[in-house]
Amino acid sequence: MFIVILAAVLAACGGSDVDVSDVPELPPVTGDEMMAILAASEQPVVLNVWASWCIPCRSEAPLLERAADQFAGEVTFIGVNVRDGQSGAREFIAEFFPDAPIDHYLDRPGDVPIALGGNTGVPLTFFYAPHGELVQLHSGVIDERTLALQIDEILARTG
Amino acid sequence: MEFSLLFAALMGMLAMWAMLWWEAKRGNAADCARSLWDVALTAAVVGLFVGRLAAMIGDGVNPLTNPKDIIIVRGGVATGWAALAAIGTVLVMGGKERWIVADGLSAAALAGLAGWHSGCLARDGCLGTSSELPWALAQEGSAVTRHPVELYAAALLAIGAFGLAVWKARGRPPLGAPAAAALAIAGGVRLITEPMRLALSAGPAVWYWAAFLVGTVALIILLWRKRTSSATTAATPPTQPERQAGP
Repeated sequence: MFIVILAAVLAACGGSDVDVSDVPELPPVTGDEMMAILAASEQPVVLNVWASWCIPCRSEAPLLERAADQFAGEVTFIGVNVRDGQSGAREFIAEFFPDAPIDHYLDRPGDVPIALGGNTGVPLTFFYAPHGELVQLHSGVIDERTLALQIDEILARTG
Repeated sequence: MEFSLLFAALMGMLAMWAMLWWEAKRGNAADCARSLWDVALTAAVVGLFVGRLAAMIGDGVNPLTNPKDIIIVRGGVATGWAALAAIGTVLVMGGKERWIVADGLSAAALAGLAGWHSGCLARDGCLGTSSELPWALAQEGSAVTRHPVELYAAALLAIGAFGLAVWKARGRPPLGAPAAAALAIAGGVRLITEPMRLALSAGPAVWYWAAFLVGTVALIILLWRKRTSSATTAATPPTQPERQAGP
């Protein structure tokens, strides 16, 4: 009985159908272009590397969305989709980042994280002080405490 | 693949096991038929599962359509729901001995929480808000020194666990009082340390207040009842021996 009620409650939480019509196509980006974006940024940057097929990326997405909303105007949030396609990436954004102030880019070959000093794994989260100074690289799923701590660190290095 | 959370969980289990072993030598729940270790592990797993589901639902992620996400514990666990589920499991599994079991696990639960918090050392997750105190620590490459807040929590919980274990062994507390004290200590420690934690949200402070207040009120009532019943017993004159019939 309990399981039936629990299943009914969970089923009511939402479906898997997502509408991607409001999600624009992701602009492609290379490693050099991304480094230029970071160097030009006056704000600290949180750069998250993700893929729609990456299960851990899904679990940390709500946290990143919340952080992007909370620090909008203070911290720039960038998402780099790697080794993925437009449709998968847009579906992921529609499901997990529908209104978050995050600039997403498409890196089909997965070169950007390597160019930035990371690795081929996903998810990865880079934390930059203004003008592209790398402060911290977090490999794997990030938790709330770590995200909050590293954002505090890059904010402390601002101006 | 990261195993630092698993390490923290192992630290928690180790601390809980050590406390149960230490208390068993001092007669903890000696007349209890159930295995406290089995109950504790089951409660921990149920709490983790329910807390993870609650966190997913709270984040707008449907566990039915994203079942694989459930095992990504690092994605978040709703502390309050996890604690409620764990406590409920202890009380259900305890059956007619539920308060004996709850009391028997009270110090071990605090020790387990202390172990869990100390697991921050394996994942560089001990630091909180900035501080100028002499023991404040900075993460590598940073000039900002911070409270090692998770170590504060671990130390306070360990002190609470040890104090509770000693009280149980020597003080003969009324049934349910150690469990109530453990709840109050767990909530109180979170309330004390929460302002030093960095988080995206204010944190589930309502749950911590609830645990602290429910535990404290229950503890006061139980101690007061014991005191009044002891006083009543002491004030009642002993029954007069029946006069023996004379010859």
